[in-house]
Amino acid sequence: MNLLRFLLRRLAFAVFVLFCVLTLTFILSHLIPGDVIQAWLGKEAALYPNVAKAYAARYHLTDPVYLQYIYYITGMLQGNLGISPSEGFIPVSSVIESTLPLTLQIVLLAFVMCVVLGVGLGILAARYHNTPADAAIRVFYLAGYSSPPYFIGIAILVVASLYLRILPTGGEYDAVLVSPSTSITGFPIFDALVQGNFSFAENASIHLILPAMTLALVTFGVITRVARSSLLDVMQADYIRTARAKGLDEGSVFYRHGVPNAAISLITISSLVMTFLLTGSVFVEFLFSYPGMGYYAFKALQGSDYPGIMATVFVFAAIIIVTNLVADILYAYADPEIRLG
Amino acid sequence: MAVRLREVLSLMTRNKQSIVGLTIVLAFLITAILMEASALLNVQFTPYPANPLPSQASPQLLPPSLAHPFGTDNLGRDVLSRILVATPYDFMIGFAVVGSAVFIGAVLGGLAGLRGGLLDEFLMRFTDIFFALPVLLIAMVVGAILGGGIENMSLALMITWWPSYARLARGESLKVAHQNYIEASRLSGQRSPSILFRHVIPNISGTMLVYATLDIGTVILVYSGLTFLGLGNHPPAPDWGQMVASFNGYILTDPWLALIPGLVISFGVIGFSLLGDGIKDTLGIR
Repeated sequence: MNLLRFLLRRLAFAVFVLFCVLTLTFILSHLIPGDVIQAWLGKEAALYPNVAKAYAARYHLTDPVYLQYIYYITGMLQGNLGISPSEGFIPVSSVIESTLPLTLQIVLLAFVMCVVLGVGLGILAARYHNTPADAAIRVFYLAGYSSPPYFIGIAILVVASLYLRILPTGGEYDAVLVSPSTSITGFPIFDALVQGNFSFAENASIHLILPAMTLALVTFGVITRVARSSLLDVMQADYIRTARAKGLDEGSVFYRHGVPNAAISLITISSLVMTFLLTGSVFVEFLFSYPGMGYYAFKALQGSDYPGIMATVFVFAAIIIVTNLVADILYAYADPEIRLG
Repeated sequence: MAVRLREVLSLMTRNKQSIVGLTIVLAFLITAILMEASALLNVQFTPYPANPLPSQASPQLLPPSLAHPFGTDNLGRDVLSRILVATPYDFMIGFAVVGSAVFIGAVLGGLAGLRGGLLDEFLMRFTDIFFALPVLLIAMVVGAILGGGIENMSLALMITWWPSYARLARGESLKVAHQNYIEASRLSGQRSPSILFRHVIPNISGTMLVYATLDIGTVILVYSGLTFLGLGNHPPAPDWGQMVASFNGYILTDPWLALIPGLVISFGVIGFSLLGDGIKDTLGIR
């Protein structure tokens, strides 16, 4: 019962925050200097006055501000995000439809790499804490998260693609060699696998590796640090002492009692990790010319494409809010104090 | 454990890690001050001018050598000099953003912890809303609207950086708020804002500064990301992230051009990370 109330409160709050983000983007979009219509249609608006008038009528750009706000909110919630000047005036929602799955592919792979690397090294660092191995791991993750993602990306690019020549320099797939399958879920690799197009799946997956690895190297430090410290804390607990007293060897005590109990604290930082990964995707996709939503955000920024910028910010924020909510739910379920009241 | 202000300085030198970090940070700091002084006094401290006229420029795209330790770029400008000159920008914005975040956070969080009740609830919900905003993206939006440049980016970062400090301040101030001297102040008729500034904030600022030292590096990292996207200093003024971005096309032929500014950024941030981590280790904070 307590759990349900907690979940409902969290859900309500998440919706509220999303609403605030929408309002914020609305306010910011109306602070754009100059003519609103020109800003939203892009620089060519002056050349097509009839189109500009029709656009203004359709999007109610000449109505009073509070009416515009209502149209904005209802429009956004129905999926109408405006038209994107920098992508040739196609609807923003279709751009996001085609680019978001690609970004999610990278982010998901990076998340897996990050957790494996972070938790693995965290466990090792705790097992051998205060030895040179621990210090070496610390230097490694410190260097990782202290470096800008684009720098690590360039370094990896130079080493892996140019010197070792084992991985491609960028792009989503080699169009010369393979072609994608028809879209079912919107995730190219998954669609290809389901339809048996294994050559595309393999080729596209290889192109995922460098961008995902860059993101993972920059972010795993957070996980390692938390895993190490929570593991060290857990090992001081009474039940660990009991397990040792029962005669279990140190390895079993560590891996069968210590690690599972430390896992709970990892849930809380996973939403932080997702935030880092999502914002990092902007740089990584630019560097590796990967046509995802981060790259679109960058192009929108360069091209003063305000509908695009607002929409990408909103979608990113929505993903982060949802991730936080899921993490809170998982944590509430795992924490007996909240679950049992 | 509430850390007092005076102890912070001695904390920074207690273990090897923080000493290394402190050395790096001080090296950068001294460079930043020197470069800022050279700009204000119109004296050149760098081996070559950072923005030379075409007649003063060296040959283009020279690899690193004794004369040009970091080589020259596509316009014949000495890369080392440009990197040195760009130092104050990143550092100033680091200190400015963290400074304002500490102040805003201390006031809001300190007040929330001190008064409690409805005010606490309201302030923390307000903080949570800002917590959910992704810093980089909001800064991008502000940059798109107001244009780039270091002032606009400082503003964008200041608006979004304070929430974690507010939470920290609230936690610390909750520990302090039940102390006897606070109750005594209240009984003697002191009003909340006065208690806040004269009793609460001095006692929580130690912990907040520990957190802040680690954070300055993060601000530098985020700002360099923004300059990479083109939102920082307008060319020809040098800025580390912007240098990496503009030399992206030269990776195949002259990789040092893009790698060296990135290394400098990493080095600076590592210094702050070591310092912050070292202090945390000394205090036993996780």
